[in-house]
Amino acid sequence: MKMLEIKNLHASVGDKEILRGINLTINAGEVHAIMGPNGAGKSTLSNVLAGRDGYTITQGEVLYKGENLLELAAEERAQRGVFLAFQYPVEIPGVSNIYLLKAALNAVRKYQGLDELDAIDFLSLVRSKLDLVKMDEQFLHRGVNEGFSGGEKKRNEILQMALLEPSLAILDETDSGLDIDALKTVSEGVNGLRSADRSIVMITHYQRLLDYIEPDFVHVLSDGKIVKTGDKELAKELEKTGYSWVQQGQAE
Amino acid sequence: MKQITELATPFASISSDETFFGDDLPWLKSLRLKARTQFNNAGLPAKKEEDWKYTSLRPFARQQFNHGAKTQPLSVEQCNDYALLDDAYRFVIIDGVFSAELSKIDGLQAGLIIRPLSEAVDLIQPHLGQQVELTKPGFTALNTMMMSEGMAVTVDSNVKIEKTIELLVINSGESANLATHLRHVIVLADNSEATIIEHYLGLNADSSFTNTVTEVILAESAQLKHYKLQQESSKAFHIATLAAKQAAKSQWTTNSISLGAKLARNDVHTQLLGEQSHVVMDGLYLVDNDQHVDFHTRIDHTVANTTSDELYKGILNGNSHGVFNGKVMVHKDAQKTDANQQNHNLLLSRGCEIDTKPEMEIYADDVKCGHGSTVGQINADHLFFLRSRGLDEVSARSLLTYAFTADVLDRIDSELIRTALANVVEQRLPKPSI
Repeated sequence: MKMLEIKNLHASVGDKEILRGINLTINAGEVHAIMGPNGAGKSTLSNVLAGRDGYTITQGEVLYKGENLLELAAEERAQRGVFLAFQYPVEIPGVSNIYLLKAALNAVRKYQGLDELDAIDFLSLVRSKLDLVKMDEQFLHRGVNEGFSGGEKKRNEILQMALLEPSLAILDETDSGLDIDALKTVSEGVNGLRSADRSIVMITHYQRLLDYIEPDFVHVLSDGKIVKTGDKELAKELEKTGYSWVQQGQAE
Repeated sequence: MKQITELATPFASISSDETFFGDDLPWLKSLRLKARTQFNNAGLPAKKEEDWKYTSLRPFARQQFNHGAKTQPLSVEQCNDYALLDDAYRFVIIDGVFSAELSKIDGLQAGLIIRPLSEAVDLIQPHLGQQVELTKPGFTALNTMMMSEGMAVTVDSNVKIEKTIELLVINSGESANLATHLRHVIVLADNSEATIIEHYLGLNADSSFTNTVTEVILAESAQLKHYKLQQESSKAFHIATLAAKQAAKSQWTTNSISLGAKLARNDVHTQLLGEQSHVVMDGLYLVDNDQHVDFHTRIDHTVANTTSDELYKGILNGNSHGVFNGKVMVHKDAQKTDANQQNHNLLLSRGCEIDTKPEMEIYADDVKCGHGSTVGQINADHLFFLRSRGLDEVSARSLLTYAFTADVLDRIDSELIRTALANVVEQRLPKPSI
C-alpha cells in the first residue's frame, strides 16, 4: 500500500522557493531517511507535511493513503495518523503532559469513531508506553516539556507517537542535541514502533541516527530537490565525503 | 471642578437625614459625617487624577442608583448552588441585606466570631476606618458614609480556624439599579489562622453598583488566606477596596479573581508594619466584550526584613479594557526587603486594550526587588504543536488560554478552593476569536 506520494512538490516561504520539485513515494512499513545539508529544505518538507502555516504550495500534490493531504488542516492530518516529532519541542507551562496526551488520544479516537478512554484504561495505556521510552511517571504531571532536558523532550515526543500510533511518523532531526545514551533510548523507542502498517520518515543531518534506526531507503535532499536515492550505504558514503559532492553534482 | 461635580450626580440626592446603623453612637456618627463632608467636597475621582487615568467613571456617573432594596428571597438549595464551597461557614448578603436564614454561622469554632457589621459595632470599633484613607479614592468616603452592612470576623489568639469562611454577596436583580455599600472587617489576633473567600455574584444582567471596603488586621504571626471571586453581571459596577495592615511575622495571601462587571475597579493595599511579615498578592482578570477591569495594588514595605510576592495575570478579549497599576513602596528603613512583582497579559483580540504599569519606589539601599510586565498573544508554535497532536484550533486556543492562568491558580494551596476557582475560571474563559 502506498502511504505517502509526493509529486513534484514546490513550496515557498514568502517569495523564496524552498522546495523545488520533490518526488517521493513511501510504502506502508518502510523507513526512509532524508538527509541533506543545512538549508536544503528538510524542515520545510516536514512542516509542509504536518500542515504548519506560513508555507505556500505553488505546484504539485501530496497524497496520504490516497487522500489529498494538503487540503487538510494540521489537526485533521494528525487525526488521520500523520505525526510530526518536532526538532525543537515547545515547552507549554500550564498544560500538563497527561492532559495533552489524553486530549490528543481522544481527538484521534473521536475521528476513528471510538469512545474516549476512561481514566483507568487511559492511565494503564500511558504507563505501558512510558516503559518504551524509559520515562518516569512523574513526567506526566509536569507541564508539557517544562524544564525537560533535551533528551527528555525528545523522549516525550516519542511517547506521544507511541500513544497515538500514527500511520506515518515524520521525525525531524530527532537525533539533534542528544547524547549517546539518550539517542539509544529514543532509537529503541522508535524501533519498537516499526511495523508493517506504519511508515517512518527520518529527517536528519547526520548518519549516526541511522546506525540505530536502520532505514530501507536513504534520500539526499539538496536545494529543494531529492538528488540521490540509495540504501543505508549511501548514508555511510555521505558521512565520509560530506555533502559537497552532492551540491557540486547538482551544479554540473 | 465642574467635571467632578458632574460625576457626583448619582449620589447627589442622598439626604443628610437618612439613617444608618450605629447612628446612636457618637464616634460612628461623626465618622460618617466626616466621610460625607469629604465625599461632598471631592466627589468621585476624575480621569485627570493619576490613579484614574485609564478608568473613566462617565458611564457610571450617567447611571442613577437606588438604595431602598426589595430583596429576592432565595431558597437554601439555590444558595447552595451559588456558593463556591459546601463545607464552609457561609455568610450571605442578598441585595445588601444580611440573610440569617441562608447563612451558616451557627456552631462556630471556639475563638471565632462572625457577625453582621450592623450588630458588631462594638467589636470592630478600634479597627473601623483604620486601614483606609477616607478621602482616597472617593468611593471609600462614600462607603464610609453609606455603609449599611458587611461581615465582621474576629479570630482569637492562637486559634486556627479549620473551615473556610465564604462570604456570599448576591445581587438578585430584584431592585433595578441597586447600590450597596458593604464594609467587611477581618481581625486576626496573634498567631491565629483563617481562610476567607469573598464571593460576589449577580443573578441577572441588570445594572447594579457594589461598593465594598474590606479591612484586614493581622496581628503578630497571624495568617490569613483570602480569596475574592467577582462574577457580577456584565452591566454591574463593582468598586472595591481591600486594605490590610500586617504586624510582625504575619502572612497574608490574597488572590482576587475578577470575571464579571461592566466596570470593576479593585484597590488592593497592604502595609507591612512588622519585621518578617509577608504578603502574596495575586490576581486574575478575564474580560470580554466591553468590560473594563482595573486593578490598583500597593504594597508598603515600611520596616526591615519584609517580603512580598505579587503575580497578576489578565486575559482580554473583544473590546475589553484592562488596567494594572502595581506599586511597591520600599520605605527608607525597609532594609533587606525582598519584593517581586509580575503582571502578564494575554490579548485574544485586536479590539482589546491593556494599560499596565508596574512601579517600584525604593528608598532603602539593601534590598532585592524585581518586577516585570508582559503583553502577548497566543504563541503560534504552541498552537501548531497542539493542532499537530489532533486538537482542533478552538480547543487548542482554549487550552492555551486556560494554561495562561495556571500559575496563578497553582499558587492557591488548598486543593478544594483551587479546584472550585479553576472550574469557575474555565467556564468563563473568553471564547477565542479565530
